[in-house]
Amino acid sequence: MNLYAYCLSDEVTDSMIESVAGLSGAKTRLMQCGEIMAVVSEFDDERATVTRENVLAHERVVRRVLSETTPLPFRFGAVVTESQLQSYVDSQQDHLKAQLERVRGCVEMSVKVIWNLEAVRQEIAEHYEQESKAIGAGETRRGSGTAFLVMKRSEILGENVTRTRAEEIADWLAEALEETVRETRVTVEPSAPLVISAAHLVERRRLKDYRSALRCARSSRRDLHFLTSGAWPPYSFTIAGS
Amino acid sequence: MVRSNLVKPSPEVPLPVEPEIDTLHAEEFARELRRASDTLPPRINIDAESVEQGLAKLVLTLIEFIRRLLEKQAIRRMEGGDLSPEQIEELGLALMKLEEKMQELKAQFGLAKEDLNLDLGPVGRLI
Repeated sequence: MNLYAYCLSDEVTDSMIESVAGLSGAKTRLMQCGEIMAVVSEFDDERATVTRENVLAHERVVRRVLSETTPLPFRFGAVVTESQLQSYVDSQQDHLKAQLERVRGCVEMSVKVIWNLEAVRQEIAEHYEQESKAIGAGETRRGSGTAFLVMKRSEILGENVTRTRAEEIADWLAEALEETVRETRVTVEPSAPLVISAAHLVERRRLKDYRSALRCARSSRRDLHFLTSGAWPPYSFTIAGS
Repeated sequence: MVRSNLVKPSPEVPLPVEPEIDTLHAEEFARELRRASDTLPPRINIDAESVEQGLAKLVLTLIEFIRRLLEKQAIRRMEGGDLSPEQIEELGLALMKLEEKMQELKAQFGLAKEDLNLDLGPVGRLI
C-alpha cells in the first residue's frame, strides 16, 4: 500500500486534521518521522492523476494544517511507500528542521503585475526610431544586410530598455513592501504582459501591515494591473521533497 | 531573484480557511496565467507522438539562443567600428538568412516565437 504525502510539520496534531479527507476521500493521518510529522493518507495507485478534484483535495489538507501552523508542503503528486518517506525525512532531518524554522509563523502572499507592454514598446520604439533612421539612411544604401543589423540594433536597445523598466517595477514593489515581508522571490518577465510574479513570505502577525502597504502601493500605480492573493502555504520558499 | 529580510519568528496566528484573491482584472490575469503555463511545459514528453516536436523545440531553442548571441556580437562589433562597410553588409546578410531559416524550421514544427524558451528555475528563462 502506498501513501500520499501532503506536508511536513513539527507542530501538527491529530486534532488539526481529523475532520479533513484526503485524495479519494481517504482518511488523513500523521506519520512520525523523528521530530517531524508527515501528514499522509492511504493511496492505492502508483501515481496521482492531476484532476481538479485531486488537486483541491491536496490543497484542502495542506490548507487545513496551514490554518493553525505553517507546514512544509509537498508538491501535488507525492506518492511514496512508508519506508521511502521515513528514509527521506530521516536523511533530511536537519535540513527540514531548518526549513520549518525558516517559515515558522509565516504564510506566502502572491502579487502578480500586468503592464501595458505594447504601450511601453511603442514609446521605446518612437524613442529609437529617429536614431535608427539616422544610422540607417546611410547604411541602407549599402545593402539589406546592413539595414538588417541596424534594425536588430534598435530591437536589442528596445529590449534592454524594456528590461530596465520591468526591473524598476520589481524594485518599486520590493521597496514598498520591504518593511512587512520576511523574504521575497520574484520573477521578472519583460517580454510578457505578466511582467512581475512575486511571492512574499509574511509573518502572520504582520499580514494586516502587509495588506495595508500593498493597498497603498497599488493605489499609486494606476498604470499597472494587480492580482494579489493569499494566504498560501509557503510553496515558493520551501517545498518538501524538491 | 531572492530578497531576504530575516527577523525573529513570531508565534502562529490562526488563518481563515480560504485565501483572499483580489483583482479588478480577473479575465486578463486568467488569460495571461494560462498563456504562461501553456508556453513552458517543464518537461519534454517522450512519447512516440510528441517526441519529435519536443526535441525539435529543445534544439531550436538552443539554436535561437546562439543566433541571438551572434546578433548581439555582430552589433557590438559594428558599433565598435572594427568592421568595414563590406564586412558589416556580409555579416548582416548571413544573420538575416539565419533568421529566415529559423522561421522556416519553426513553421515546419508548428512552433511560435514564444515557444522557443527554457525555464531555468530560479535563474529565470533562457531567452
